[in-house]
Amino acid sequence: MTVSGQVKQTLASLKGARSTLESFAAVEENVEAKRAYTENLQRLDRVIDGIEKRLQVLEYEEPQYKGL
Amino acid sequence: MPEWTIAFIRATAVYLLVFAGARWLGKRQLAQLTLFDRITVVAIGVVAGALSLNLAGSLASALPPLVVWIGFPIALFYLSIKFKTVRDLVQGKETVLINHGKVLDDKLLEIPMSAEDLLSQLRRKKVFNFADVEFAMLEPDGELSVFLKKDKRPVTASTLELKVGHESVPQTVIMDGIMMDEPLTAMGLNRRWLHEELEKIGVAPENVFLAQVDSVGQLYVDLFDDAVHLPQPKTKELLFVNLKKAQADCELYALATKDPSAKQMYTEAAGLIAEMVVDLAPLLKR
Repeated sequence: MTVSGQVKQTLASLKGARSTLESFAAVEENVEAKRAYTENLQRLDRVIDGIEKRLQVLEYEEPQYKGL
Repeated sequence: MPEWTIAFIRATAVYLLVFAGARWLGKRQLAQLTLFDRITVVAIGVVAGALSLNLAGSLASALPPLVVWIGFPIALFYLSIKFKTVRDLVQGKETVLINHGKVLDDKLLEIPMSAEDLLSQLRRKKVFNFADVEFAMLEPDGELSVFLKKDKRPVTASTLELKVGHESVPQTVIMDGIMMDEPLTAMGLNRRWLHEELEKIGVAPENVFLAQVDSVGQLYVDLFDDAVHLPQPKTKELLFVNLKKAQADCELYALATKDPSAKQMYTEAAGLIAEMVVDLAPLLKR
């Protein structure tokens, strides 16, 4: 698998984790647990953001794999 | 009136009277009854039995004892709530039997209780070595309460200095195949959500015996058909594993790439995910 393919896979699993975390944060009633979920959601957003930007660079460098 | 009708009416009246008296006597657990409470219960039973069998002569002469046996305990009960001295008199006082790891033999004699009795009571509390006990107290109802020495106490999360996540009580949303609306709304969910969740695991609602929702909205289901094996949700565990894998991936990319800015981004990402793993472990794993 190409580098961009691997990075895309990681990104996909991180996005999956993000949606699970989001649903936990929505249902959880305990204030402390809810805060922990939301805080980590923000951290995850930063990670996803960074990887997405990197992916754009990778696709620019390896245009033949774009969109895979 | 035939004799059996009178007996019938009599027994019914006594039954209702004792029932009302028992309700009034209160909700104290049977296990918490002191010796005197037990005597009262037996006495009420005997009087009620004698009364309904007409062994006690006329109803008029037999009712007062019943009233006394029901009324006095109630009066004493309210007095004992108000006054500590009455309470000690009626309910008895607790006795310290082991203090600072030493058996107080003069207290044992006072009760009276033999050393065998003490050891057998301790064994019932799963203590086979009296030296493990820091403090033991005989409650008024005859039960021994045992406080173990610190190093003999069961391990808890706080002794291990583990951080554990808060977990609220799961709500039972299906019981005996019937959907419970009240617990569902308490969780902020509704029947449609339940139908959707059941559809996801491929189960018809009428086949569900029990279903519970935990604090993050995961559904645990038990079916009427015990031959069907249904996997329990692993969403929390999966999320945790996914995060750890992503962290490892980012570390790998950081090593593999030659671009310095990308290297920095991946290292930062791996660090962030590592923080998340530490932060979420109490909630997702334990």
